[in-house]
Amino acid sequence: MQLTLPIAHALVGKSDLPIPEWLFAWGASLVLIVSFVALTLAWQRTRFEDEGWRPVSEWISRALVNRVVGFAAGALGAFLLGLTIYAALKGTEAPDRNFSLTFVFVTFWLGLVVVSVLLGDVFRALNPWRAIARAVAGVFRLIAGQSPPAPLHYPERLGRWPAVIGIAAFAWMELVWGQSGFQAVGLVPHDVGIAVIVYSAITFIGMALFGIEEWTSRGEAFSVYFNMFSRLSALEVREGRLGFRRALSGAVGWAAVPGSIALVLLTIGVTAFDGAQEGVLKDAITSLFDTLVDAGLGPVASLRVTNSIFLALTIAAVAAIFWGGVAGMHTVRAGIRIRELGRLFGHAFIPIALAYLVAHYFTLVLYQEQAQFTYLLSDPLGDGSDILGTAGSGIDYGLIGATAVWYVQVGALIVGHVTALVLGHDRALAVYRDPATASRSQYWMLAMMVGFTTLGLFLLSQANQ
Amino acid sequence: MTPLPIAHAGHWAIYVLYAVPVLIVLGSIARTMLRDRRKDDG
Repeated sequence: MQLTLPIAHALVGKSDLPIPEWLFAWGASLVLIVSFVALTLAWQRTRFEDEGWRPVSEWISRALVNRVVGFAAGALGAFLLGLTIYAALKGTEAPDRNFSLTFVFVTFWLGLVVVSVLLGDVFRALNPWRAIARAVAGVFRLIAGQSPPAPLHYPERLGRWPAVIGIAAFAWMELVWGQSGFQAVGLVPHDVGIAVIVYSAITFIGMALFGIEEWTSRGEAFSVYFNMFSRLSALEVREGRLGFRRALSGAVGWAAVPGSIALVLLTIGVTAFDGAQEGVLKDAITSLFDTLVDAGLGPVASLRVTNSIFLALTIAAVAAIFWGGVAGMHTVRAGIRIRELGRLFGHAFIPIALAYLVAHYFTLVLYQEQAQFTYLLSDPLGDGSDILGTAGSGIDYGLIGATAVWYVQVGALIVGHVTALVLGHDRALAVYRDPATASRSQYWMLAMMVGFTTLGLFLLSQANQ
Repeated sequence: MTPLPIAHAGHWAIYVLYAVPVLIVLGSIARTMLRDRRKDDG
């Protein structure tokens, strides 16, 4: 059965735009160039190297960050994990009527990104695997009188790579195993349930081997993924105290850990592929698919192989743009190795990953969250029950017009890329010391930003034409 | 009959139009680098 959710993220019927779509790409590029000039002239000292974290008043912090709230958040996360697995395994196989698919691929995967940017790293509190592991460790402590020991030391060079593999596997499952393109391959709730169980087992093994907090912060894919976006937030909890820092400043230095650049480029590449597979890449995918079928491979296997290849190529193209730009920056002043430069500036691409997600999935979230919080919550198994009395609700597809959606997408891409320019420029001032060299190095950042902006708008304009 | 590539000109023109801003920025970078190199040599 075909996963039907992503139908809503395509853009259709932008017939009443005042100018051609390609002219929006020119306009967006102009905004970036003007922003670049303004930064060069007016932004002469670093602002994000010091996060400037300051605690909120103690009673507010205590009210929001305490054991009871922590326990409740963990219990909620564990409940939702259990509900997802139960609904996936016991509920209807109709993807649009089962709680699990919308919850995993929209509310969790996309919704928590937005929440993380606005409120900080809330998934750390909600993380069901961490909550369950901590509860088990608590019981262990009661019985044995000591915390369970971690038998292995987490290798530093492994960095965030286990999380990169986890996110890549998740994206592959969504876009290749159960893709929604011109052929129905099939992602049914049962597959999702099995995948969640397998991932949970891997996570618990990782926590048992390396320690709960160590694996959560480096290896657990979704903790690392949502934490990446929370680095843009102004809110952060430090040593149990809630505080404010300069928005965006938490991102500085994030890419120094191995695997970080791969994660942010993977996020951009995966979103770009999702936009391209039904648009600009459709003919090429069809062509390779036909070739493989003619060669004797079955249609489902052919489609999965084809999509795997094009997904990998799209991620490689995004990585090529990034490393090409970094190599360009390297020409400005020798002395810093290209790989090191990548780590110094990789965090600037987090806002781009966010912009791509918002631009591409805006309508999907807007429509599917109506389903999530009405009939899917009231009838999670899709078996006709009506727990909350909202099972009869539907999705209002007329909530926002296609033209308004287009403006939201263009706005998200522009804001995301200007933010990336700001982060890059600020970092360049710290790295190169003198503003003139910093600005020269950022010509290349500007080229990358213009490239990613026009690519993003091109993909959106080509989707479902 | 195989269509001539020119029949797809409208299609390719869109690609070019989207690429123009990138080409302008890359051209500016190349020009600046050349100018800086000349200045250094001089």
